[in-house]
Amino acid sequence: MEIIELINVKREFKILNRREGIAGGIKDLFSRDYRYLSAVDDISLKIKKGEIVGYLGPNGAGKSTTIKMMTGILEPTSGKVLVNGKEPYRNRIENAQDIGVVFGQRSQLWWSLPLKESFKVLKEIYQVSDKDYKDMLDLYMSLIDIKNLWDKPVRQMSLGQRTLSDILAAFLHNPSVVYLDEPTIGLDVSMKSKIQEFIKGLNSQKATTIILTTHDMGDVDALCNRIVIIDKGKKLYDDNIENLHKMFGMYRIMKICFSKDVGELDYDSLKDKAAELEKELQENFSGDDMTVSVDEGWIDILMNEEDVSLMEVMNFIQSKQHIYNIKLEEISTEKVIKKIYEGGTIL
Amino acid sequence: MKKRNVKFYLAIYFKIISQDIKSKLSYRVDFIISTMGILFTNIAGFITFWIIFKNFDNINDWNYYEILFLYGFSLMALTPTQCLFDNNWNLRDYVYSGDFIKYCFRPIDLYFYYISEIFDLKGIGEFMMGVGIIVYAWINLKYSVTILGILALIVMWIAASLVMAGIMNIAAATCFWMNNSGYVMVTVFKFTEYTKYPIDIFNKGFRIFFSFIIPIAFVTYYPSMVVLNSHNLPILTIIAPIFSVLFFYISYRIWMFGASRYNGTGT
Repeated sequence: MEIIELINVKREFKILNRREGIAGGIKDLFSRDYRYLSAVDDISLKIKKGEIVGYLGPNGAGKSTTIKMMTGILEPTSGKVLVNGKEPYRNRIENAQDIGVVFGQRSQLWWSLPLKESFKVLKEIYQVSDKDYKDMLDLYMSLIDIKNLWDKPVRQMSLGQRTLSDILAAFLHNPSVVYLDEPTIGLDVSMKSKIQEFIKGLNSQKATTIILTTHDMGDVDALCNRIVIIDKGKKLYDDNIENLHKMFGMYRIMKICFSKDVGELDYDSLKDKAAELEKELQENFSGDDMTVSVDEGWIDILMNEEDVSLMEVMNFIQSKQHIYNIKLEEISTEKVIKKIYEGGTIL
Repeated sequence: MKKRNVKFYLAIYFKIISQDIKSKLSYRVDFIISTMGILFTNIAGFITFWIIFKNFDNINDWNYYEILFLYGFSLMALTPTQCLFDNNWNLRDYVYSGDFIKYCFRPIDLYFYYISEIFDLKGIGEFMMGVGIIVYAWINLKYSVTILGILALIVMWIAASLVMAGIMNIAAATCFWMNNSGYVMVTVFKFTEYTKYPIDIFNKGFRIFFSFIIPIAFVTYYPSMVVLNSHNLPILTIIAPIFSVLFFYISYRIWMFGASRYNGTGT
């Protein structure tokens, strides 16, 4: 059953062409000289009940615009968005009853109210029955320890506690879809994984559909069974993560360490070394996809095994310098995504 | 699903406000200092007013106690805007930073949800002062106290408060259209100073301006006439209750129209 459906959705924004200088500014006041920018350009998408979809793309790709259309605060220029079979922007309030939204750094809770009181107000707003409310709280208790949050006003909470509270609040009325916008931004590692576990738990218990926009590939790896990548308003990729890795199956990362002690080398000299190495490799090997970067004392060489032989590269480097340690890695989701953003190719 | 009617909204409103007051009172020092701050501001204003009147017996045939009555009524009429609609002052920042979007996802009226977020207790002191001044003026004016008179005054007070809130709604909503709307609110708010004076001391141009353009004459002057000039009510006093409801509704529509135009600044 499809819970969200986007059918050839386009959204344009009208932007005034600004002129320079004061005279230009005055002319702008009366100007009708607009250009049109496609924030979302012909995107179609079907999302089933219970899916966790990572909605990814670089800044300005059109993610927020899509989410705004799905949540009913923006109307598409053409095409159609259906959430639970209805167009959300035709009836914002009806749609809002059945969704939850979380912004990583913008708490939607009442600043001065303790969490339990915020929940009581939300219970009223969403008209949650006593039984459903109690069931949901029991589920929360079984998944995570929220005792220390319960009596705390939101303003006294740490960022992690606040984000967790916002997530709790978003699921409270058991919505069919929850939109999470950078939910773990600025959080420490342990809080991140705690929140990821909690979201996973809720998703499996309540079959809540979750749309996650993030730049944190840790979130994506931990949560999403499917990812959609967009850039410049167009859909670049829509499939599960495994297939994404397969697309780049021939890519390997060779990690090299030139020193006995990893902590010995400082970042700047490593960076210079990496740049130098990249230049040399590109001169001597045909693969134009080779990139060299620095990762905590290691030098990472990303290469496509279809183009170059791993052994040859290793021999080449060893002929110049002594290698102390070497590791081979599959390409990470983060690197894959980066390649897609940079390449801009539709897979 | 129950229908979201007035009762539903009132229930939510009181829930938020009662909790908010409870938590505010736990910050006792903060509350006491800011209440005293408002009180001192008003006392200073009052002293200026008093000094002026020590030098003139009357202004344009308005005697000291009549003007005092207007002064007190004006304080009372400003209080609800201060207490209940204070979040309008933050609107520009929310819109500018893109944070306004976080208000758009609840299944309730957007304006209600936004405005109900903040309840400012400080205005209560101002209100008490207003009531005190009105009682004092009323006694000295030697008007009789009738239930009808008090009821009429309460109706007029509600009408006046609605007009004031409406003015600030429109002033705040300008931020949906312009980047630099901060000064609009400040300027409009400064005009409310003039509510404390009888409108006929101004010339005709200002009178029209204050009655129909920025209708601050409906915040104090016309409503007060129900007591000060009860035998010969001006037509604008009679229509003030209807006008106020209409005006507030229009201001609400403008606010909501602005909000619907708005679409975050992305993340």
